[in-house]
Amino acid sequence: MSNGEHIRVAELELFALGALPEAEAAALQAHVSGCGECAMKLAEARGHAALLAFAAKQDRPAGTIKAELMARIRANREAEERYAWPAKTEERGGGQARRKPEAKSSLLTWVLVPAAVVLTLVSFLLSWQNRRIAAELDREHKEAEALIHDREEIEKLVGVLAAPDTVTVKLARMGDAANANGVVKFNAKAGVVLYAADLPKLPPDKSYQMWLVPESGAPISAGLLGPGGHAWGRMWTGEVPANTQAKAFAVTIEPVGGMAQPTGPKILLGAT
Amino acid sequence: MSPQGATGEATTDWTLMVRIGQKDEEALSALYDRYSGLVFSEAKRILRDAGAAEEILQDLFYQIWRTSQRFDPARGSLAGWLLVAARNRAISKLRRNNTVSEELDEKGVTLGFDVESHAAQNLVLDKVRAVMGSLPENQREALECAYFEGMSHTEIAEKTGQPLGTVKTRIRSAMEALKKVLR
Repeated sequence: MSNGEHIRVAELELFALGALPEAEAAALQAHVSGCGECAMKLAEARGHAALLAFAAKQDRPAGTIKAELMARIRANREAEERYAWPAKTEERGGGQARRKPEAKSSLLTWVLVPAAVVLTLVSFLLSWQNRRIAAELDREHKEAEALIHDREEIEKLVGVLAAPDTVTVKLARMGDAANANGVVKFNAKAGVVLYAADLPKLPPDKSYQMWLVPESGAPISAGLLGPGGHAWGRMWTGEVPANTQAKAFAVTIEPVGGMAQPTGPKILLGAT
Repeated sequence: MSPQGATGEATTDWTLMVRIGQKDEEALSALYDRYSGLVFSEAKRILRDAGAAEEILQDLFYQIWRTSQRFDPARGSLAGWLLVAARNRAISKLRRNNTVSEELDEKGVTLGFDVESHAAQNLVLDKVRAVMGSLPENQREALECAYFEGMSHTEIAEKTGQPLGTVKTRIRSAMEALKKVLR
């Protein structure tokens, strides 16, 4: 970790990014707390890491947050001033003239100020709860929308599977892909392709891609069997232009994210 | 009140902090206007929850109001402290660990660039975006996993299936590119 007596800048930057595991971070922290030069370099490394904050999509907080903050500091300020009142009264007056203000300030100090503090706390608690409830409602609303969307998708897929004009195409392995196989359900009218396949695991930078081979023209992508693809359980789905006449379906290996046209080896193939 | 007025962008952070120490609400308001967008956006990017990000934002500025006297400009930049503290609190919240709470005098941060006006902030935003956009995908991913998701390099190596040395090299190369923003 260290270069001679000091810690290397690269390590300090990993620490500033929060990328060091706990044990290494603790050892680095212990060194920095006793080393002025490394502490100075760590301050710079934190500044470099903080540049990443500028990579976040810029947004504005709700206007009510500032209003709440200002109300909160005013409440805090008023409470502090009220607590400070007895001392100021003593500085100003003396003798007989001091008795009434003392009694009044005592009442303020022991009854009204705690009450004000309690009310302030209750007010912030309620405000915090309000925001929590609003956020929960918003989350639940989004979940409900997602469920409705899922139900519509499932109904559409079930409709395709049950349709009399949906054809089934069995896919056979090509080349060395032992045990690879698959099946496609295709409805040309709806332009929907459903498929499932047993395929060997790929390296992280590769993905399987399903292709519809039309009667004429270039193959059309019908989705990915992996990251970026659209899955329902073990079944994948893809959409192609409606009323496309399919001659065959094929699965190839492509870079992650897929390609516009097949470039990799064919793994599965099946004619309609 | 300074010659630039309560909210003038020419007023330095240090001047505002001195006035906040004197319980000047307009100064806190000006400081909030200056940095709330950056702090909120950073916390929201980490938490993906606007309400939780707003909570962190408000707590940080309330802390500034209460403890501004502890701020020592010799130890670093206030904007830097805000960004580091917001990030640490958001990561802590993300991992459901509420123990992090930096004090103003605890951690020095040297930013090395000016962000005391929205124009200056926009300049840095453009430069950082350009650098991030030019990074290879795997370098950007490693950097974002660490900073925005609080993952250690070993966790990133596990997630990406890459050797630890490769992950460290990617982070180091990405940081070198990012530092070009400062030149």
